[in-house]
Amino acid sequence: MDCRAALRNIEAKADGLLSREAEAELAGHLAGCPACSAEDAAISATGPAIRALAGIRAREKAPALDAMWTRVRAGIAEGREARRRSSWVARWVWIPAAVAMALLALLFYPSRMDRSPFHPSSFDVAVEHVESDTATVALVDKGEDLPRVIWIIEDGKT
Amino acid sequence: MARRNPRGRAGAPVLFFFLLLLLFAAVPSDAADTVTVDVGAVYASNEGTSIDPALGTIRGKLRSMFNYTSYRMMDRKRRSLSVGETGEFELPDRRTMRATPLPARRDKVRLSIQISEGSRSLLTTTLGLRRGGMVLVGGPPHQAGVLILIISAE
Repeated sequence: MDCRAALRNIEAKADGLLSREAEAELAGHLAGCPACSAEDAAISATGPAIRALAGIRAREKAPALDAMWTRVRAGIAEGREARRRSSWVARWVWIPAAVAMALLALLFYPSRMDRSPFHPSSFDVAVEHVESDTATVALVDKGEDLPRVIWIIEDGKT
Repeated sequence: MARRNPRGRAGAPVLFFFLLLLLFAAVPSDAADTVTVDVGAVYASNEGTSIDPALGTIRGKLRSMFNYTSYRMMDRKRRSLSVGETGEFELPDRRTMRATPLPARRDKVRLSIQISEGSRSLLTTTLGLRRGGMVLVGGPPHQAGVLILIISAE
């Protein structure tokens, strides 16, 4: 292993990414190379130093973080309570609305609303009697497949 | 983010439609003694060649029965009437149609119909139809053509 490969492996070892075989090979090189050994010692000391620094920073910020978490928890609890209050109304408010809509449909559908196109089921019609004071009336029957027609011939108009 | 209660949201539409079904299901028991009279006023003329899609399956029948080239639905009204109750349907040109369901066998509908123009009675007739049956009443002049009434009863 040359020094360049050894330096790459030193960094990989510090990151915990080096295999056991490569680490053994690196150790063999470090034993015979003071420069790489010094580099390994320096890099290996960096990790604990950073962790120690992070720990110090975390301790410094701990009170502020605690206060922030307290505020977040309070906000969550408040939102949950507000939702619990409003959800009861939101959950049941549609019932009177649905009843009102159904009643409106029942009231207005039969008399006011136009339906879909005509699709008669039968043209079987019995004309029991037909008369007119002011017009001549003709009864037209062109077969079972066609509707019966009462034709009004208005005297002087039609 | 606020989360809603999924159980409540899923249950609401189901209960809503169940309620609607209950309400609509209650109608036939009440409607058993009623007749729904449906009256469509069609303007038939030789102005153009269009046939109103709202006429549905009777478009072809109108064409085969009459010599007009254009059929346009002018108005359509639907009333639920009890036996003995008279319903008035306004028609174009100040004409009116009065329909009264008469007692009939269960699968039949008997209708007394009177069509008038002002104080003049144009037609008085009594019809016996099957439920869902249809009859046409035509002839009264309207603009450059005639008026054809499509009367059906259920």
